[in-house]
Amino acid sequence: MADNDTPRTVYELVQLMSSLNETRRAILLALGHMYPRSVSGVQLSRLIGYSGKSRSLYRGVLTHMQEDDMILIDELTPRLHAIRINSEHPLLSVLVELCRKYGKDTSKIYAKALEE
Amino acid sequence: MDCLLKDAQGLYISRQRITIATLMIIFTVVLHSFYSSGIYGFGATFPEGVPASWKEIFDVVVSLNTVAFFLAFSLIVFAYGLWSWAFFPSPAVSYTVAALRGLFGQNVRIKHSIGKRFRVFLESGRHIDVRCRIKKASSEDWLGYRFTSCPLTGNNLHSVALRHGMSSKDGRFTTWIEHDELHHRALLMAKAIASITPGS
Repeated sequence: MADNDTPRTVYELVQLMSSLNETRRAILLALGHMYPRSVSGVQLSRLIGYSGKSRSLYRGVLTHMQEDDMILIDELTPRLHAIRINSEHPLLSVLVELCRKYGKDTSKIYAKALEE
Repeated sequence: MDCLLKDAQGLYISRQRITIATLMIIFTVVLHSFYSSGIYGFGATFPEGVPASWKEIFDVVVSLNTVAFFLAFSLIVFAYGLWSWAFFPSPAVSYTVAALRGLFGQNVRIKHSIGKRFRVFLESGRHIDVRCRIKKASSEDWLGYRFTSCPLTGNNLHSVALRHGMSSKDGRFTTWIEHDELHHRALLMAKAIASITPGS
């Protein structure tokens, strides 16, 4: 990406993030910090503090985000899915870059939440 | 949740109960009236040695009454499908229209058609189709929207769509949104459409 394009992309990223609702925003932030690791549905609902069942996450939010190419879902077994952020998305790639550069401590907190 | 939407949700749940209860009463009446007026069998013949009680059961199950009953039952199911396709509580209509008018101005033309569909006419002569979908009625995120733009031409549609958090399908921008994202993502949709100049 050319340097003079970066502020524009960051602007669009901020606009995108603020247009999403709480759940989707939390998902992108958590997955951005976890990248390149992928997480399962249960782990993801723990990372974002989701109170409902992870199945209801799949039914709506996650499949719609996958349709919009924001996240990638690999079906390992019918019951186990590996969810990760789409690092080739033109805006989310910047998010991933930012998380990797400045989000080391946050990533540690997220990773710790998964250990337990 | 917005109080208009709370009203709408309550209204939807109560109307759904009334509808289901009515259809169940109709179901019972149909069941009773179709089997109490005599059985019209097809006059099947049985091989020797089949017990008479079996024959009676077979005659009742395989009869014109059952055919008619299933026809009536599928009509009931169809009636419920039609109801849930068409019924959209009016507070939810007010919410949707208010959010869209708040964004595009009070004078924007919004066409509301049956089946929970809206069409917003933008100033540029383009339009956005908004289809509402009611998921599990009792949950927090019970109402969602499907946005579809008018057909657009351009070779960078996919990249523009991604940069606005949407996907492109058959030359249209499409996305699913939740009710609490309506305002902001409609803004993004309008911005994405505006960035595609006609004839490029």
